[in-house]
Amino acid sequence: MLFKIGRDIFHRWEGNPALTLADIPFRCNTVFNGTPVKRGDEYLLLLRIEGQQGYSFFALAKSRDGFRFDVEEKPVLLPARDGVWGRYESQGIEDPRATCIDGTYYIMYTATGDYGHRIALAKTDDFHAFERVALISEPGNKDGVLFPEKINGQYVRLDRPIGLGTGSIWISYSNDLYSWGDSKVLISPRSGYWDSYRIGASAPPIRTKEGWLEIYHGVKMTSAGPVYRAGTVLLDLEAPSKVVARCSVPLLSPREDYERVGDVGNVVFACGAIVEPTGEVKMYYGAADTCVCVATAPLQEVVDCTLNHNSQN
Amino acid sequence: MLIVRGRDIVRRCKGNPLITIDDLGFRCADVCNAGAIKTESEYILLLTIQTQAGFSIVYPARSTDGYTFDVSSTPLLERANEAPFATYENQGVLDPRVTYLEGTYYIVYDALSDHGYRLALASTKDFESVERLGLISEPDTKAGALFPRKLNGKYARLERPWAGGSIWVSYSDDLRYWGWSEVVMTPRGGFWDASRIGVATPPMEMREGWLFVYYGIKDTSAGPLFRLGAAILDPDEPHIVKYRTNVPILAPREEYERIGDVPNLVFSCGAVLEPNGEMKLYYGAANSCICVGTTKVDDILAACQESDKEF
Repeated sequence: MLFKIGRDIFHRWEGNPALTLADIPFRCNTVFNGTPVKRGDEYLLLLRIEGQQGYSFFALAKSRDGFRFDVEEKPVLLPARDGVWGRYESQGIEDPRATCIDGTYYIMYTATGDYGHRIALAKTDDFHAFERVALISEPGNKDGVLFPEKINGQYVRLDRPIGLGTGSIWISYSNDLYSWGDSKVLISPRSGYWDSYRIGASAPPIRTKEGWLEIYHGVKMTSAGPVYRAGTVLLDLEAPSKVVARCSVPLLSPREDYERVGDVGNVVFACGAIVEPTGEVKMYYGAADTCVCVATAPLQEVVDCTLNHNSQN
Repeated sequence: MLIVRGRDIVRRCKGNPLITIDDLGFRCADVCNAGAIKTESEYILLLTIQTQAGFSIVYPARSTDGYTFDVSSTPLLERANEAPFATYENQGVLDPRVTYLEGTYYIVYDALSDHGYRLALASTKDFESVERLGLISEPDTKAGALFPRKLNGKYARLERPWAGGSIWVSYSDDLRYWGWSEVVMTPRGGFWDASRIGVATPPMEMREGWLFVYYGIKDTSAGPLFRLGAAILDPDEPHIVKYRTNVPILAPREEYERIGDVPNLVFSCGAVLEPNGEMKLYYGAANSCICVGTTKVDDILAACQESDKEF
């Protein structure tokens, strides 16, 4: 039985989960972590599907209302098998994030292979034909999101490199989308907080008048394993390496059965959000690595909450 | 007592160790690894010196014969005070590798901070002052070295990102923005380089391709063993390995390599090729002194190409 709990800023859609295994027209293990775009009055959701053999690939779902989706018969992007891309996608492609710049959709996703995971960039006009652009990070990096416009003439991305270090969100810049540099650490895990263990970018940044709103995921490690929650940070519009405010509390935490129970329990993990003309944010998130859900909140409320609960330590 | 042994391809200089803390005019904890280059007039070593406080900085040393060095009393690279370097160097600067490229000496070094290791790039004309050019990698990438010329119109570097413990190559149009990264070589299970590998010397252009010395680590129950091997990369596509030694060219055997702050370690950041075909390989031993070993370049090339032979 599901309880409607109102204490998070984001409110779950009463029809959650929006997509489960039962909605997929082919056999697979799970569906989760979808990235949304809205084209006219049509919503598209590029979904991460984990196949029964264990590696992930992408399928496409369509909707008229942003809640009820139909999944297409066949996957739209499979891991490359040959050449350079095959070398780095041999264990699958994961966690897509779509950003529209000048009418082209750019998809940043995680390429997983024998040499570690790295960030890959593809582009598409129609979400059926994808052109792979470049592998744009060193190994050990994931959770790449591209800003929806150039800033001071440069492309900008957030990412999450991890090695010996702490699992922070970094920012990098590029003139051409191929070569990246001027990397800086943006925010790090906060001791004692809900995001004390690891953090990573989730949704591509959303422009607001108060700054770039980034919905990120924060992980707290417990004796029973990690708990993944969604939180927010506001970045300066002109200099996005500057933090305007970072919310001290998560805006969505795993509470419902479908978020608590699954292949990876206690996970809510967003890969994108749509801002409606009404000012409502629809956030799409994977729950327990097993299904796809939607939650909504007024954008201004999310921004105000971030500003009013600012804690940057 | 030191015994000069002949069984490694690289032969130790009888005067080893060349530089210990007793040769310095100031107090410090350790003298570790050294980048090396020969200019028109002298041999330059860039020493990683661990201060007594615990963090590393870089001092230049100069020599006319490649064996007797004068260590400067002032550092060439200290932890930066200015942004953005200060944030990423607050725990030290170490392991500089020098490449002469388009008329300038470029130094790729490890910047260490609360945010992990990153590669940083500086340039110098005279080894008396440096200009910092940028932080050029993600964390935790270390052991970076520039190629001495552009490849297919792009600058290129070798490096060791943490994930996988492998050597990678990346490219750049401007030395500032880097991409097109590819894996070059990985650790080999069961071998002396089974756990992690990384670039030791910057790549040197040979008829056969890009020759470089690399370090390989094997983890034992008592800790890591650091040894040196060599490989040759395709001249135009350096992610393709043409030859790689099956055996190390230098392994810790002497007391000064076995005993120190990090025992059982030989680790290089640079070598000098002489006109007569000799290679002087400068290496740190046990993170506590600087040594040199010599060999014929032809012997290293042969060791690479005979890499199916185990003995």
